[in-house]
Amino acid sequence: MLAIDRRLIIHANWPLLGLTAALFFIGVANLYSASGVRFEDGISIAPFYQKQLVWGATGLGCMIACSLFDYRHLRTMSLPFFILVVFLLLLVPVAGKTVSGAKRWLAFGLFNLQPSELAKIATILLGANLLSRYKDPLRWKELFFILGIAAIPCGLIFIQPDLGTTLLLFFLLGGMILFHGITRQVLKTCCIALPLLLPLGWLTLKDYQKERIVTFLDPSRDLQGAGYHITQSQIAIGSGRLWGKGFQEGTQSLLRFLPEKHTDFAVAVFSEEWGFIGCMALLALFCCFLLCIINTAKSAKDQFGSIVCAGIFFYFFWQILINIAMVVGLMPVVGVPLPFLSYGGTATIVNFILLGLVVNISMRRFIFKMS
Amino acid sequence: MPAELDFRADRYHPPRFGIYLLFWLTGSLFVLFVVRFWFLQILHGEEYAQKAQANRTRQERIYATRGIIVDSRGRLLAENRPAYILTLIREDCPDIPATLAQVSSWTGISLPALQAKFQQDALRVKSFQPQIVATDIPFEKVSEIEQQIFMWPGLSVETRQRRFYPHGPLFAHIIGYVSDASEKELRTDDKLALGDIVGKQGLELMLEKRLRGTKGLNSVEVDVLGRQLSRRQDEPPLAGENIALSLDIDLQKAASEALGEEAGAVVVMEPYTGKVRALVTHPSYDNNIFTATLSREDWTNLVEDPRHPLQNRAIQSAYPPGSVWKLMMVGLFLEQKMDPRNGVTCLGEVHLGNHTFRCWKRGGHGFVNMMQSIINSCDVYYYEMAQRVGIDNIERFATACGFGSVTGIELPHERPGLVPGRDWKRRRFNEPWQGGETLNAAIGQGHTLVTPIQMAVFISALLNEGKILKPLLIENDEPSLRGQLPIPQPHRTFILEAMRATASVGTARRINRSDAVMGGKTGTAQVVRLGERRVRSSEMAYRHRDHAWMTAWGMKDGKTYAVVVMVEHGGGGGSTAGPIAAKVYDALFGPEHGRPRSAGGEGAGSDPTQELHD
Repeated sequence: MLAIDRRLIIHANWPLLGLTAALFFIGVANLYSASGVRFEDGISIAPFYQKQLVWGATGLGCMIACSLFDYRHLRTMSLPFFILVVFLLLLVPVAGKTVSGAKRWLAFGLFNLQPSELAKIATILLGANLLSRYKDPLRWKELFFILGIAAIPCGLIFIQPDLGTTLLLFFLLGGMILFHGITRQVLKTCCIALPLLLPLGWLTLKDYQKERIVTFLDPSRDLQGAGYHITQSQIAIGSGRLWGKGFQEGTQSLLRFLPEKHTDFAVAVFSEEWGFIGCMALLALFCCFLLCIINTAKSAKDQFGSIVCAGIFFYFFWQILINIAMVVGLMPVVGVPLPFLSYGGTATIVNFILLGLVVNISMRRFIFKMS
Repeated sequence: MPAELDFRADRYHPPRFGIYLLFWLTGSLFVLFVVRFWFLQILHGEEYAQKAQANRTRQERIYATRGIIVDSRGRLLAENRPAYILTLIREDCPDIPATLAQVSSWTGISLPALQAKFQQDALRVKSFQPQIVATDIPFEKVSEIEQQIFMWPGLSVETRQRRFYPHGPLFAHIIGYVSDASEKELRTDDKLALGDIVGKQGLELMLEKRLRGTKGLNSVEVDVLGRQLSRRQDEPPLAGENIALSLDIDLQKAASEALGEEAGAVVVMEPYTGKVRALVTHPSYDNNIFTATLSREDWTNLVEDPRHPLQNRAIQSAYPPGSVWKLMMVGLFLEQKMDPRNGVTCLGEVHLGNHTFRCWKRGGHGFVNMMQSIINSCDVYYYEMAQRVGIDNIERFATACGFGSVTGIELPHERPGLVPGRDWKRRRFNEPWQGGETLNAAIGQGHTLVTPIQMAVFISALLNEGKILKPLLIENDEPSLRGQLPIPQPHRTFILEAMRATASVGTARRINRSDAVMGGKTGTAQVVRLGERRVRSSEMAYRHRDHAWMTAWGMKDGKTYAVVVMVEHGGGGGSTAGPIAAKVYDALFGPEHGRPRSAGGEGAGSDPTQELHD
């Protein structure tokens, strides 16, 4: 490995790191509150926040590791990595662990691995690799080539089944392609064709996935099941009002009316306890965080780095959009976590790895001037 | 390695469109969610805050003490006693079948019955709410159960109020009883919950609103499973109203003892206020069995008892009034300007068409005027006079006197009795009225039916300037006027005078006493039409025997009481109902000076035929 240049440390994206730290610790504090359950004799806290701290520390290590080497090596490594991930995804149906009806995990003795998480990294890297081969906006041939390759992991994840991750991968790649640019003709055709393809997508959905969408459109259909999540989540958020109920005062969360409160619905707990003011602050943090990534994409020294950053932007952007939209009742319930606020080991580590890449790209933006 | 990297020095420019896209997306995300959070938290915050509040608070009702019922002198007629019940919180009980089996062995209730009730109630009792599994655990059992109950999680002994009627059968028909609210009552009254008791009969039913009180309210903080975390009293429970009745336990007891084993009714009324001082009906039942868990067997026994103990004969049974009716008829005759001095000669019978209408006295009374017709209760006088006034007048007048309609006493299922007439006959039988029926109607026979309470109201009206009052059972109720007797004051005086004479020298001699002014009129209502000769009642089958009536009033030391005695299949009014009325007056006025009343009653009824009828 290269010795660390002092200028690299100076040029590291400190605003991004600061925002990440802020979001992570807000997430841990919120998790502390969200994992509390009130009983007759007080509040008992499940130890999720401690585990999250451990994940965070692990993630920090991964992030540093990912920022040390020159990211341009990733370009050559992206294809082998992608093939490895596809292999792991193929293993899942054969050797995977079944958790609540879905096979998504591979057990590796000490830890469980979710290949679909790795697929996100692999797709970003391979996508950036392929896109950076073209200097001009994509034409049909190139578009289908890239989509065709991405369809392999997408298909494998879809059959696990994991609709959330599939959509995320698809949107991620779509975002990257749009960022890179497509010819006007392709853009026009896509704008017309995509709405026509939506009904086809409906046919490929499983019943419970259809049910979620129908329930989202009319929560009163299923007040005990999925509609219950939507209703209770909105009650939690709305009842926070301007100033919120205060830390560990959220009744919806403490009395367990809010489901999935430490994972997918963590932001509802936050909204209940910190109110509109808190939500604005959180949104501002997320947006500044995204702006830092955009800035890195803008100032990257090469096309590969820029497109990787755009991929990472979309990775975070879609998760923030889908998760919050789902929690505030603008979208059907799909299992997409909110970066840094939702509890989850693999997701936290992947987040930090990707951030490490952004930091990597960002700190090497002046590298050519040196030479 | 660095050699392999692409070090082309020309500066890379990211696609402008792409960068704009990312900025634009980030900005849109911010705006979208700011608007959405504003919508949820500011615009609709109030609404959602209320929903959150409703989510976590459950309202828990606190039982209100049901009002007690006392007699006019403040003695208990209905009270609340603690009852021990066993409740089970299903979620806390690891083995419900075993627990129920244990409850069965403690209480002696059969296991299948317990299980059936448990399963039925379990549908209505929410999670973490105590469900009643057994009620009325005897106190001795409670200590035994409490020693072992720690072994049965979820089970607990609780106290609940249970209604108790210290005098049981004596007031059963008036007080009525309470019992668990039925499915229908739960549906129609949202203030009721499963296991609540409500009035089912008598005053418990009629005064339900006043007796019940208002349940208090506890706010209980619960979690999503309904587990209770804290509670706060929002509204204290309001006890139901305590109600004093106009009835008097001593008098009721005396009247009940006077009636003895006979089936019938006794009504004692204060004429000027309408207050009922005693209302006895026999046979009776113990209303306490309804507040405990009434067994099917007990219920069947009560319903199928041929003597109908559930029937309140004072208000729910209508009988032919017999000669008591003559008091009303005389009022009609006087209204029709008949001279009281004119009379008829009674030869013992009257012929009309093919029928012979007999006087109760064989051989007849000889010349009888209006006054004598009451004193001796001569039927022939009424046969003759009734033909002059006609059935339409009788029907109109009797209806105006309050017969044929309910008195409005505050008890359920009062019967209106019946005043027959042409219209009724046509409606009921689709036949024209027969002349002979007028004769029967005149002596209170045939289709005419009155209840003892109607008769008491009528006698009261004669005494109280003609006011038809609602019979009152509640001490503090104001007299309530329901109508005016169509009998003016001179005519009422005439009727009262005739009753006084009947009590002193006529058929009601049994009630006479030297220390009070007494008036009376007897009645013997035929149940079946008999042949040529009247038969002594002791020779007839019970169900064919005549009903015995005694209507009376008595004044002593400024107090006036109207008493009506009705003995079902009692035989002669004077001989059976008379002594009962006399005993009631003994209770009202104290024993007559120097003449303790003996059972036989000397001086009256040396003539056996007179005993036979009125």
